[in-house]
Amino acid sequence: MKPSEETLLDIRGLRKHFAMRGGLRRSSSRSVKAVDGIDLSIREGETLGLVGESGCGKTTTGRSILRLIEPTEGQIWFRSHRMETRSDQQRGIDVAQVSQKQLKDLRRDMQIIFQDPYSSLNPRMTVGAIVAEPLMTHHITSRSNCKNRVVELLTSVGLKPSHIRRYPHEFSGGQRQRIGIARALALEPQLLVCDEPVSALDVSIQAQVLNLLEDLRAAHNLTYLFIAHDLSVVKHISNRVAVMYLGRIVERATTSELFLHPKHPYTEALVSAVPVPEPDYISARKVLQGDVPSPVDPPSGCTFHPRCPYAIEICKKDVPQLKEIENGHSVTCHLADRLSLDGLTQS
Amino acid sequence: MADHTAVRERENKTYSSNDMAPESVLEVTGLQVGFPHDHGVAHVVNGVSFGIKREETLGIVGESGCGKTVTALAVMGLLPKALGCQVDGKILYRRKSGVIDLATLPPRGRVMRSIRGNEIAMIFQEPMTSLNPVFTVGDQIAEAILIHLHPTRRKARSQAIEMLDAVGIPSPEQRADEYPHQMSGGMRQRAMIAMGLSCGPSLLIADEPTTALDVTIQAQVLELMNDLRVRFRTAIQFITHDLGVIASMANYVAVMYLGRIVEHAPVRTLFHNPKHPYTKGLLSSLPSLTAEKARLVPIPGTVPDASEVQQGCGFAPRCPNSMEICTTQSPSLEPIDERHSAACWLYTQRGDRR
Repeated sequence: MKPSEETLLDIRGLRKHFAMRGGLRRSSSRSVKAVDGIDLSIREGETLGLVGESGCGKTTTGRSILRLIEPTEGQIWFRSHRMETRSDQQRGIDVAQVSQKQLKDLRRDMQIIFQDPYSSLNPRMTVGAIVAEPLMTHHITSRSNCKNRVVELLTSVGLKPSHIRRYPHEFSGGQRQRIGIARALALEPQLLVCDEPVSALDVSIQAQVLNLLEDLRAAHNLTYLFIAHDLSVVKHISNRVAVMYLGRIVERATTSELFLHPKHPYTEALVSAVPVPEPDYISARKVLQGDVPSPVDPPSGCTFHPRCPYAIEICKKDVPQLKEIENGHSVTCHLADRLSLDGLTQS
Repeated sequence: MADHTAVRERENKTYSSNDMAPESVLEVTGLQVGFPHDHGVAHVVNGVSFGIKREETLGIVGESGCGKTVTALAVMGLLPKALGCQVDGKILYRRKSGVIDLATLPPRGRVMRSIRGNEIAMIFQEPMTSLNPVFTVGDQIAEAILIHLHPTRRKARSQAIEMLDAVGIPSPEQRADEYPHQMSGGMRQRAMIAMGLSCGPSLLIADEPTTALDVTIQAQVLELMNDLRVRFRTAIQFITHDLGVIASMANYVAVMYLGRIVEHAPVRTLFHNPKHPYTKGLLSSLPSLTAEKARLVPIPGTVPDASEVQQGCGFAPRCPNSMEICTTQSPSLEPIDERHSAACWLYTQRGDRR
């Protein structure tokens, strides 16, 4: 289970600003800074959890990697197995720069599972057609082989071969999510971006899908970028975790390190705010004041300073940079080496 | 005319206090709710009984479609009887003047309207859709106060501002003049809570009040609700699917599955010594934040459709302990010890074990 040291995906300085239009003044120079300069790398075979509250830019990050959203700025280096020359394989390719034709090829290696299993499947296509579509688009199998492959995929995600002729509305939420997973696996990708794959599901079904994702990772040697807001789910499935706040990464560490010894005040508050299903659990609850500010007009300096209980003068003026303070543990905080923060109390 | 007198009689009928435990605010017995559909009636709530005492929080947990919300709507008299909704059972509620059965009251009648929003208030999951977008938040809170307590307009407004202050909204005087869309999600939910508590209810029904909120905001709202419960001495019926939230909020917990309460216990007993296989399954399928779990143990299968008529225990098809009797007869909620009960054949004399 130990992730290999080889980096599969390396994101450098990724930015996505959405221009704001509308209102009386049609042209506006203001923009929503959804993702505002993030660096992130994912090693082959590992699961990287990306957490944060709504509007922090996690989904935009995931979609930018696949260029379902065009990034404003930044590099996305990806090492595809399908590269022609050996040097390309080693160096990787910048997804942000490739042509549309190259991009189509690259997408065979990077796929996505969406949050809402109700709106991400075409209601007018049968399950068989949905799962076969990627195979057809990329001319991978002949029509006759296609059906066998679809049946194989459906079985691998725990559905029955007879489901092939049915339509999405005949399935429950958990089953639909399985269909989405089968579709994403059809091209045998290396990287799977899972965008809140279980947050629309009930707990008993959520556990089924999480187990399935873990099994598939082992069986197909997959690498996951697992985007979620539920910290217990992220802790369960991830090897490493990155925490986002207002379009920036505030902390990055291995899972146990991040939960037991958080170094950023926001991570500390996030971890302490999670309701633990244990009545006797005493969390060092740090209730944050106020709301997440608007990404149109983020606060000066460290964007977290208006809510931060430890903020000092420098936090209002200078933007902190992500720096590594321990092996593999990076934080974006001026006070990182001065604060002693509380993590989870392990039972 | 005859109808009218009958209604009056029902409205004025009081139960003696002996019908109810002395500390109880609400006592529901054998509640059944049926919704008509193409092939008959779907029994969404199927014989639910529970009680809530003053200043106590009863948590109701269950997955989507288990009947948690419908139970709450039945108590509030908000189920559309005109559409063929059938409500049976007793919903005893203690007023200052005596005990009254809410199930017998006409939902649009004088008495029910004086209780709803006044003595029993409800806050909903989605604060954006449950607030009226064309009125200011202050006006909406004042509306409830005006209707039930009949003060002057000026007094109602100042009370509304006081409530906004009590739920921790900064600069409440300005915020009272804002429309719902000008507020953030957490702010709107606070406004909903302010509205719910504005008439000093003895029972507050909270239906997934923090599900739409982010964790840091959820922590704020939960803390607020606990403070207000003590301050206003309100009983809370707290509906959620989140076992973590239940653990930090409830005194007692009722676990629902397919329209029935399958287990009822004090919160620590439920988490430390769960009896019903469904409760056990729920707890083992949760990823844990505090302990290392190598692998989750999910409950196999899916929740069946409430409209499908079935025999026996509703959980039997998914249950690891299923026995012969489970598929033929439905177990009732029986006490295991003094304050802990479960609806499972494993714990009754007729079951094969124990």
